[in-house]
Amino acid sequence: MSDHVDTGARAAPEIAQPWDPVVRLTHWSIAAAVIANGLLTKPGGTIHVWVGWAAMAVLALRLVWGLIGPAEARFASFLPAPRAAVSHLADLLRGRPREHSSHNPAGAIMAYALWACLAVVIGTGLVMTGGKSPITIAEEKAAVAAGDWSVLVTGNAGDRHGDEEGLGEVAEEIHKVTANLMLLLALLHVAGVAVESRALGRNLVRGMVTGRRR
Amino acid sequence: MSGASHTLAKLKRRQLGLAGVIVLQCVAAVFFVGDVVVDLVQSPLAEHALLEMLVTLALIVGIGLNACQLRRMLERMRVQDRALGTARGDLARIVETQFETWCLTPAERDVGLLALKGLDAAEIAEIRGAAKGTVRAQLTRIYAKAGVSGRAQFAAWFVEDLLDGGLGTAGSNPRGRPGAPIQAERLDQE
Repeated sequence: MSDHVDTGARAAPEIAQPWDPVVRLTHWSIAAAVIANGLLTKPGGTIHVWVGWAAMAVLALRLVWGLIGPAEARFASFLPAPRAAVSHLADLLRGRPREHSSHNPAGAIMAYALWACLAVVIGTGLVMTGGKSPITIAEEKAAVAAGDWSVLVTGNAGDRHGDEEGLGEVAEEIHKVTANLMLLLALLHVAGVAVESRALGRNLVRGMVTGRRR
Repeated sequence: MSGASHTLAKLKRRQLGLAGVIVLQCVAAVFFVGDVVVDLVQSPLAEHALLEMLVTLALIVGIGLNACQLRRMLERMRVQDRALGTARGDLARIVETQFETWCLTPAERDVGLLALKGLDAAEIAEIRGAAKGTVRAQLTRIYAKAGVSGRAQFAAWFVEDLLDGGLGTAGSNPRGRPGAPIQAERLDQE
């Protein structure tokens, strides 16, 4: 155990500040958006769509940052490696995981899975709302409230019959299933962080909040 | 030291602020892009839509520039961090090597390190759970082995290399005076 602590201390200066502010802000914004839209807001409501659009922006920023950001934030430093992920999980079960300067291999696969789910949920959400921005939706609602029902007619006549109807239903089904899958993965992610923090003897959550990993 | 960490904290706050602005800009840009797409679909190449497109493009370019600036700031800070770490590590290594050269015992090394950090005999005794007299005797032996007259010279021995030039040549160099070693006790008296 003592040599483990020793390597940790020696490795520490290298990984003193791995999570830059963009990674931290996008992480917590997306976490908040997932919790808000998965558990709190009314599905299909205006707030739900607002949050979804904001999450789309944040996800886009994170993905671009994965190409142009500093080394630890870049995809190149945590490419998906299933075999490494399995061996990392095995190490974790034995209670001696290795330190990684970016995501550990298992965490990297979790990140990609969560991003993929998020992209699918956002994409199907856009299909369900006909790609209308929340501003347009709010304007339409205001128009309807003011007595102008023509927006409803044009909106419904265009994309609410035949093929479009079927597509909307499929999108809705995928939206729900993927959203639930994402919540499940998020729980697994939190559990993984808890186990890894215990095994490494340092609080990984603090690194994502303050940027310092020690 | 505290000044350096202060500016570092300020730099980090500025980076966090910049990142926050970038996130906000992205959210705004996505709504603009959505609006532009809807407008372009409804009435392609209308002046209104074209102007909006221009504004959106400007916003996106702005986000890109901000991201690049943040990236550069992060890199600069990382380089500084590493330099500071190296300097710290180097000093620790130099101290350790010198203690070895002076043939300090392990206990004396601990005491010497604490003395370098600015603790007095009473504080060192408290930390090590030893008697004050013991620590004082150890300090005296350390100063004797190092050939310095007391705590001030002992610390100066290591700082001297870091201060390039400065005062004249003679007199300022504690290593230049190997004599008068056993006056340590006098300087250490409380």
